[in-house]
Amino acid sequence: MSNRRPASSTPRITDEQIIELVSKLQQLLPELRNRRSNKASASKVLQETCNYVRSLHKEVDDLSDRLSQLLSTIDNDSPQASIIRSLINQ
Amino acid sequence: MMNHIVPEFEADEDYLFRELPKKSTMGGDEDIMELLWQNGQVVMQSQNQRSVGNKKPEIRASMANPEIRSSVVEEETGPSDLFMHEDEMSSWLHYPVDENSLEGYLYSNDLLYPTPPSSAHLTTASTSPPPPPPSVTIPPPRPPVPQFRRVEGESGQPKYTNFLHFSRPNKGRTPQLGPASTSKLPPALKPSTVAESNDTPAAEALESRVSRVSDKAPTVSAANIGGGGNMSGVGAAGTSSAGRELETCELSVTSSPGTGGSGASASVEPSSQPPPPPTDDRKRKGRDTDDTECHSEDVEFEYPDAKKQSHGATSTKRSRAAEVHNLSERRRRDRINEKMKALQELIPRCNKSDKASMLDEAIEYLKSLQMQVQMMSMGCSMVPMMFPGVQQYMSPMGMGMDMGMNHAIVPYPPILPGSSLPNPAAAVAAAAAQLGQRFPVPGFNMSPPVTIMGGPAASQAANLSAPMMSSFPPHNQNQPRAPNFADPFQQYLGLHQTQLPHPQNQGGMPPIATNKPSSSKDPTNQTG
Repeated sequence: MSNRRPASSTPRITDEQIIELVSKLQQLLPELRNRRSNKASASKVLQETCNYVRSLHKEVDDLSDRLSQLLSTIDNDSPQASIIRSLINQ
Repeated sequence: MMNHIVPEFEADEDYLFRELPKKSTMGGDEDIMELLWQNGQVVMQSQNQRSVGNKKPEIRASMANPEIRSSVVEEETGPSDLFMHEDEMSSWLHYPVDENSLEGYLYSNDLLYPTPPSSAHLTTASTSPPPPPPSVTIPPPRPPVPQFRRVEGESGQPKYTNFLHFSRPNKGRTPQLGPASTSKLPPALKPSTVAESNDTPAAEALESRVSRVSDKAPTVSAANIGGGGNMSGVGAAGTSSAGRELETCELSVTSSPGTGGSGASASVEPSSQPPPPPTDDRKRKGRDTDDTECHSEDVEFEYPDAKKQSHGATSTKRSRAAEVHNLSERRRRDRINEKMKALQELIPRCNKSDKASMLDEAIEYLKSLQMQVQMMSMGCSMVPMMFPGVQQYMSPMGMGMDMGMNHAIVPYPPILPGSSLPNPAAAVAAAAAQLGQRFPVPGFNMSPPVTIMGGPAASQAANLSAPMMSSFPPHNQNQPRAPNFADPFQQYLGLHQTQLPHPQNQGGMPPIATNKPSSSKDPTNQTG
């Protein structure tokens, strides 16, 4: 950040847009959604988003493990198996 | 956020009231005496006495006002908060993301990934509820040196520019403070290259300075220390960790105002003061030299400095406040930027440099992740009970999808007693297909689900798709910005019999037009 460039290379992204996006993001976040949703700062929303994404990743991994376990228990040719496989492979 | 609130809060009467209630407890009454100020006049009143009836409501009102007002301020900072956010956002939005500065932030990435909080306790004490892991990254040997900054405050010339030396996030382990800070710090703190090895000696040196400084620490600084200036190991300038510490102190400092607004300005100010050697190097006058040594970013501070020196002491306060504000603004911006980058890294195949579009993608990705998790959990619970059964769970399924799309993961009842095989499976598969499209993973095989849907389950699939289709148009309208998400799904549903959804790559999500025969690579037949 050499100089203060008011409008950087980005096209005029309206603040409204950003605010809207952040609020949308906030709505998705389970934590911030329950509180008064207009309280969270952008920084907090972003932080929560990162945390949430990571937790979702972890959850996906766990579920994948479970699904693969289930897969081993059922007939491999069944449709369920293919569904499970598709779920796992996502 | 709270910084804005706190100043507004200063209404004299209420402020006084807030300030002095403790002093006012008078009387040995059993009743709790409340000494209330109203409009400069003390109106004593007992809690139980309602004698001061007419005034009481006012007092109550005025007493409640502060709380209400604060809450109102907080609340109406819904919109006004957003306004502030607007300003905030515009500032950080339009502020070019400095790769260099953020690189340092993210380099250790301790900020974003939980690191063993060896030093967690240092900062987390005061900071707001989600003390960012970043605040943890300070190495234990680093002594808390908040006093340094206070010393600067005392001198009356907060060395913001110096602070910026340290605020320059480290690139890797070599702090950029090196050249800049050499002038400021005693040789013991010679920074950068010897950083790692210097940790101990630097720490010792710091400790000594800390002890020296602590004597003069003003009360404000004391509050600051408690407030989370702990980790403002800004004092540990010369070491590689300084940058990170700085970040943490930034985080802690800026968050502490957020927590309690406790002397927000005060907390900001000292934090903005770098920890130069306490006794010597009071080159406050040499601010110009500081400026020159500062990174280019500090150019902005040259102006206030020039102003200060030209106009004399009168303008120093103002410009200092402006500097403080600028500094806090910048730190806020940096924090947000670094979080944006972190988020960007979490999102797969996010190549957007544009903040808005990146947020867009983040939103979509988050939704798809939620959906994925939901589907998988449904699949987990479905497997044990997959047997041809009732079809009455179509609508719940549709609604589940609906809700899943709209909100966060709705705790969809995973147990679907008697759920038919094709329907939930189809729903799951369809959702899975769609998820796969948005963020496809190699190897995603779409045929089985299609087969399932295209087989005898056609009727059921049609039933399934019907509620879903009906539920989706609203989605589409509600989420104009997420056409990628809804459209392919709709098309998928529309052509469920003949289409093989093609795993789409990001960027554009062309409509599914591939009409591969569903049986093309169909290992499992519905009849099987």
